[in-house]
Formats: sequence, C-alpha cells, structure tokens
Amino acid sequence: MQSNAALEYDYSLAKKFTFLTILFGFLGMLIGTLLAAQLAFPSLNYLLGEYGTFSRLRPLHTNIVIFGFTVSGIFATWFYIGQRVLKVSLKESKFLMTVGNIQFWLYFVGALLAVVSLLMGITESKEYAQFEWPFDIVVVIIWVLWGLNIMGLIGIRREKALYISVWYYLACFLGISMLYLFNNMALPTYFTSGGLGSFFHSVSMYSGTNDALVQWWYGHNAVAFGFTVPIVGMIYYFLPKESGQPVYSYKLSLLSFWGLLFVYLWAGSHHLMWSTVPDWMQTMGSVFSVLLILPSWGSAINMLLTMKGEWQQLTENPLIKFMILASTFYMLSTIEGPIQAVRSVNAIAHFTDWIIGHVHDGVLGWVVFMIMSAIYHMTPRMFKREIYSKKLIETQFWLQTTAVVLYFTSMWIAGITQGMMWRAVDEYGNLMYSFIDTVNALHPYYVIRTIAAIMYLAGFMMFMYNIYKTVTAGREIEEEPQFRTPIAA
Amino acid sequence: MREEWRIIAYVVTSGILVVMLYGYILYLYRSEKSGKRDYEKYGKLALDDEIDSPVIEDKPASERYKDEK
Amino acid sequence: MFFRWIERNPFFMAAWISLVIAVAGLIEIVPDFAKAARPVEGLKPYTVLELAGKEVYKKDNCIACHSQLIRPFKSETDRYGDFSVSGEYAYDRPFLWGSKRTGPDLHRVGRYRTTVWHEAHMWNPPAVVPGSIMPAYRHMWKNAADIETAYAEAVTVKNAFHTPYGPGIRKGKEAWEKYKPTVLAQARKVAEEMKGTEGVSKEEVLKMIDSGKVPEIVALIAYLNRLK
Ligand code: HEC
Repeated sequence: MQSNAALEYDYSLAKKFTFLTILFGFLGMLIGTLLAAQLAFPSLNYLLGEYGTFSRLRPLHTNIVIFGFTVSGIFATWFYIGQRVLKVSLKESKFLMTVGNIQFWLYFVGALLAVVSLLMGITESKEYAQFEWPFDIVVVIIWVLWGLNIMGLIGIRREKALYISVWYYLACFLGISMLYLFNNMALPTYFTSGGLGSFFHSVSMYSGTNDALVQWWYGHNAVAFGFTVPIVGMIYYFLPKESGQPVYSYKLSLLSFWGLLFVYLWAGSHHLMWSTVPDWMQTMGSVFSVLLILPSWGSAINMLLTMKGEWQQLTENPLIKFMILASTFYMLSTIEGPIQAVRSVNAIAHFTDWIIGHVHDGVLGWVVFMIMSAIYHMTPRMFKREIYSKKLIETQFWLQTTAVVLYFTSMWIAGITQGMMWRAVDEYGNLMYSFIDTVNALHPYYVIRTIAAIMYLAGFMMFMYNIYKTVTAGREIEEEPQFRTPIAA
Repeated sequence: MREEWRIIAYVVTSGILVVMLYGYILYLYRSEKSGKRDYEKYGKLALDDEIDSPVIEDKPASERYKDEK
Repeated sequence: MFFRWIERNPFFMAAWISLVIAVAGLIEIVPDFAKAARPVEGLKPYTVLELAGKEVYKKDNCIACHSQLIRPFKSETDRYGDFSVSGEYAYDRPFLWGSKRTGPDLHRVGRYRTTVWHEAHMWNPPAVVPGSIMPAYRHMWKNAADIETAYAEAVTVKNAFHTPYGPGIRKGKEAWEKYKPTVLAQARKVAEEMKGTEGVSKEEVLKMIDSGKVPEIVALIAYLNRLK
C-alpha cells in the first residue's frame, strides 16, 4: 500500500456527469416553469406549434428531471463517493474507466435522442416510462454498464467494509433494473406484423388493469429507488463529511435501510385506490404506506442527530443549511405521502393538484436541494478551487426555500379546493359545480405556482452561475479540504 | 378460493419479513453488546476517505468471520 | 447465523435486496393477472380507426390532463356515468387511466358528447366552454393519423394475445392494402357527421380521406365516440 503515495482519485467521470446534471436540471426546470405558466395562461400553449402544448411538454419535463437530472446526479455522486469510501481510484482500472466513459457518451447521446422522440410524440404513454422500445434498450445498456462499474469498484476495493451509502447505490441499481425491465415489456409491432407501420411503435404485454398494476408497482418504486434510496445514500456521505461529524447512529442507518426496502415495495398499491384493484390490497397499501414513516424518519432523524452539538454550523455553513433543510422536506413529504394514502383522504386528493404539490415538495425540497449541495461540496475538490460566492448561495437558499413553500402550499389549497368542489352537493343531492367552475377556481393558485416556479428557476440559475464562476475564476486551493467546503465570503 | 390463498401468502410473507427485520435489530444490538462487533466505527468511513487513509477493515467479512466461533 | 451471512459478502446482500424487492411484486401483481384481463361481456376490440385515434390520444398525451377511471362514488357516477370495472379495459394496451384530472374524466365521454361537439371543442376549447384551459389542437386537422401502425398493432394483439379480430386483420403488406379501404370508409362516416370549422372546411377533410389519408382529428373523434 506504500506505492499509493502518488495515487489520486480520478474525478473525470464525476465531472462529466456533474455537467450533465446541471444541464438537464436547467432544462427540466425551464420546461416545468413553462408548464406551470401554461395552466395559468393557456395562450402560452402555442409558442412552438404542435410541439409546445402542455400535454406534449409534460413528459419531457418529468423525464428530463428523472432520467436526466436525477440520474446524472446519481451517476456523478457515485463516481465521486464510490471511489472515496472504497478507497480505490478509477485510475487503477483501465477497464472500469473505459466502461464509465462508454456509459457517459451513450447516456448523453441517448438522452438527447430520447428528448427529440418525446417531442415528436413517440411515446408508450405510460407515466415515467414513456420511452419507446429502442430507447428502453439503450437505457438498459447504460444501466448495465453502471452496474458493472459498481460491482467492479467493489471488487477491487481496498477498504473491505462497505459504507452505508454504497448499500444505497447498490439497492438503487438493483431496484431500478428490475422495475424498468418488467414495466417496459412490449412487443414492437413493426416486427410482429410483417413490417407494417412505424418502426418505433410497440404494444404493451399487459392490458388494462394488469398494465395499471405493473405500471404503479413501477411508478411507486421508481420513486423509491430513484428519488429516495440514492438521495439518502448521498446525504449519508455528504452531511457527515461536510460537518466532520460521523453519522449519529450507524446501526440506525442499517435498520432504516432494510426497513425502507421492505416496506416501500408493499405500499405501491396506494396509487390505485378506489380503482378496480382488489380492496384488501388497497387497504394493505394504506397500512404499509403509514408504516413507511418509520424507516424514512429513521434516516432523517439520524441526519438531524448527526448535527447534535454542532448546530452552529447551520448558521455558518450554507451547505449544511441546504442539507438539513433537505432532510426536513424529506420528513415532510414522507409524512404527507402516507396521509394521502389513507383511503378517505385519497378519495379527495387523488387526481388533484395536491398530488402534484406532494411530488414537488419531495423533488424540489429534497432531491434537488440534496444534489445541489452535493455539487457544491464536490466542485472545490474536483477542480481545486474555492466556491466563488457565499452571498450567492445564501440568496439562492432563501429564494428557493420560499419558492418551495409557495409551490406546495398553493398546490395543497388548489387540490383540496378542487377535490371538495367535485363532490359538493346541494340540499337535494345534486352536484353543485360544473367541471369548468372547479377549473376556474384554481386560477389564482396556478398564478402563485408560476411565480414560485420562476423563483426556483432563478435560484437554480444562481447555482449554475456560482459553479461556473468557481470552475473558471474561483481562488485556487492547494490541498483538498478535509471537511468543510471552502467558500469565498 | 384463490383470493384467500393470496391473502395468506401476503400476510405470511410480510410476517416473516417483519420478524426478520426485528431479528436484525436484536442481532445488531446483541453483537455490539457482546463486543463481537463495533458498528459505529464504520461511521468514520465517510470522514477518513483519502486514498491513503488507513482502512478500517483490510480483510473481507467472509474471512474475518471465519475466526469467530 | 443468517444476518452474518448477508453481511459477509456484498453479493449475498445484492441477492437479498433483489429478493425483497421481487417478493412484493410477485404477490401483489401476478395472481390478479388472468382475472383482470378477462373482458366484460359484449366488449368489442377497437377498430383500426379507433386504435389510430388512441394513438393520437397517446401522441398528444391527453393523459396529462384527463383520466379514464370513474371511481365508485356518487359524486363521480352522477358526473360521468357508471363506475369503471376491470373487464372494460381488457383491450387497453397500455391502460390510459391517467393520474391527474386537470380536465374531466373521459371514460364515458362518448355517451354525452358528439362528433360535432368534439370538432368544435378540439378546434377551440374556450369557444365551446368559456374559461377552458385546454389547449386547441389544430394541427390534428393537418396531420394524418398513422393508420398503418394502428393496423400493425391490431395484427400484433390478434396474434400474440388472441384479441378477437376478424379474418381481415392479417400479417403483411398485401393484407393491409386490402384492409385499408375499410378504415377509410369508417373515417368517411365520421367525417360526414362533421360540420367543418372556420379554418378547415368539411370538404377539405373529406378530400384528405379520399386521397387515402385520415386526418388525426377524425381518428381521435372515432376513438372518443367509442368511450362509452
Ligand atoms: C391542459 C390540460 C388539458 C389537456 C392537455 C387536454 N385537455 Fe381536454 N379538457 C381540459 C379541461 C380543463 C377541460 C374542461 C373544459 C372544457 O371542456 O374545455 C377539458 C375538456 C375536455 C373534453 C370535454 C369533456 C366533457 O365531459 O365535457 C374532452 C372530450 C377533452 N377535453 C378531450 C381532450 C383530448 C382528446 C385531449 C388530448 C388531445 C385533451 N383533452 C387534452 C384540459 C385539458
């Protein structure tokens, strides 16, 4: 091991994926902001001809945020954390470097083509699984390459103990593999009909209720393994590292891990409440959703307790602030989810904007905050430069926090209002409102949401600018900081 | 009839999983109390993660565990 | 002991993670498969034109704002009609239940809206329903629906899943050429009920069909009329 003196971690892949994370984050949020505005001001639907309607753009927004932004964030942080906690450099394996680079380029080109295909309306129309089969195949290849890298790095590791974050990345890899494969089973019609029609078109192997079951098994767990598991993996690394405090209870982190895996999967049927899925299963879906609070809060509380006795860092270090707020939003949305999964609440909440609000306090407050802090933490170490501006981070923090709060409160009110109006009856038992009345009532909330979206996007642009300036003009540092990320005042 | 079987399967599997989860909690605390294992030292993995930081375990668990009875 | 065994090797752990993930899926999903796929009595498969319309619905992603699932509450059955049952979706690949109702449920829209209504509405929603925030879909008058792909889909589901289509639905170019006039005739029937809009007259729509192309709007309306 003495020969390692000159050996360094190789951040080239982490850098590349960080670039994509920022690019896709910006694109996804830009489109999201346009969508928010379209619901408030429908004339904005006609900016891009047939390609610019709300409906055509919505899958673009969701897919870019999930498969573009979040997944590149997961890759970027993996190629950073993975080496470090396993104490092995990618430089030590030509093979893994090559695999990683192929993964990167395939992903970059594939993502651009997929964006074009969705714009053109080439879609399977299953939510968060819209890509048609040729793109599915590319996704699978990319995913397998990533898996190869995880296993490979574990295989050549110097540190034989696996840190908890590695467990989370591993679970993310396995979970998404299984889900994606089963949900996207489809027959390409071009080949089964003797060469007729579009090459891209396919038809689902499952029909109707079955398709719905598989889809929501996928949809629910894709959130688990895409938006929860890997992000928890990130915070288990970045918060202790940034604060210099080891995680409060390592045992608790192991428990929450298995608890999360076990419970999350059973809760999927809560997406199909009051549908044609058997009653008892819907009930179990609710029960498990409520149980889900425990492991989720286990992790979040573990994070908060990690800061025990070190709370002054919260005021001194904006990154700590970001991460602690992210855990708080995580707690919020993991209590909100189970509430929505209670059958009587679900009857009102389902199909309304409350669900949209729930998704966004989770994604804007938890996922995006966490990934941004990760990038703030990694950049000075990858580029050997100090973060350009603390003021900018502080402003960004308050702007985006206000935006998230505005976003979810307006959507809660909108959702509950509309849910109540749909079911309101007069003294004779007749429906009180026509559908369009319930749409008109939402206008003010849609306007507030648009403002929130613009604020959040502005905050993200400050983040982009700050990172750009750091990389190009930040003060150089000689030595990698051990804990706290250096930020110019 | 099939529906009943399924409910049984569901309850039994989740029962087993619950028992295992709690078993795991017990296992963790017991093995730490008896001094067999110190889980909390793994928390350091995130902090001392330079490539030349000392490793916490230099043998894979499969070999480490062999030494125990 | 068991837990030690899992901790011992990352690949045991991976196997265990996969197992935990898979078990839930197996029990939740698989047993319902056969039952849920059985069609209700009298359910007919989509015609090729309707399938093409469904493709338009998918392509322009109406699912972003519309559900097709009426829940068993009085407030929903009063508004939309009978609640939905599993067997009605037997030929829906993929399912189009949706998850957001920015607009109303459409599962039984064919019961209370007509061709002419849809025509005017899709051309300019706020003109029909003041205050509507639904976008207008005027490109559907210009674009041709992909009836050949719809036919390919019918062939596929007939062969792979035994969807009961007639003998006219067969593999290959020739069979399609022979079948195409049937689709065009169905399209013409829908188009003849239309009135024409300020931008595209009824004659232009008919002319397009006679030249062998079905405007997307005609296929879409055929599909919407079928939702009953
Ligand atoms: C931005 C969301 C949005 C999108 C996208 C959208 N709609 Fe709508 N739709 C609405 C709203 C809101 C209403 C209620 C007001 C109205 O009738 O225009 C509505 C009403 C309807 C109605 C009338 C239903 C009834 O019971 O009165 C039909 C039919 C319809 N839409 C079809 C479609 C089709 C087909 C598409 C896809 C090409 C589509 N919509 C896309 C929002 C949307």
